[in-house]
Amino acid sequence: MLELLVILMCGAIAVSAFLAIRLKGVLAAAVSGGLATLFAAVCYVLLGAPDVAMTEASIGSGLSTLIILYAIRRTTGLRE
Amino acid sequence: MADTILILAGGLIFFAIVFAVIRLIIGRTVVDRVAAVDLLTVISISMIALYAHVGGRFIYLDVALVYGVLSFLAVVATARYLERGL
Repeated sequence: MLELLVILMCGAIAVSAFLAIRLKGVLAAAVSGGLATLFAAVCYVLLGAPDVAMTEASIGSGLSTLIILYAIRRTTGLRE
Repeated sequence: MADTILILAGGLIFFAIVFAVIRLIIGRTVVDRVAAVDLLTVISISMIALYAHVGGRFIYLDVALVYGVLSFLAVVATARYLERGL
């Protein structure tokens, strides 16, 4: 069961990263990039590193997406 | 009986992740994708809790708790961005 969940998480990371590269909208790409780090945090939990997963979930998924959105707002104005 | 329920929960989480990722891929607007991301965070929390029971490591429940406290931050930030507030 663990192997199945890890494979599922790795597939979800690959799909999220591919969407973050290929999507047209900047905001959708930023959200997909945050989702990839979120799945990486779940993968860390499944592989036995809960402290790394806590840091990844707080910084990677929360703060990184916040900073990227702030940068998009500051650089592109009101355009999406 | 308990094993049946755990296997059923694992299957439900599997198909929930598959359908939410499909929603993320074909999402027409940004709001659809943000809703899919929020759904996937909730599914991830339930998956960590399920693995805490299956693996017998109850420290992972703390991880699920911190995850639930922090994971809404990206969705709130995106909502603030869409409302021209960030």
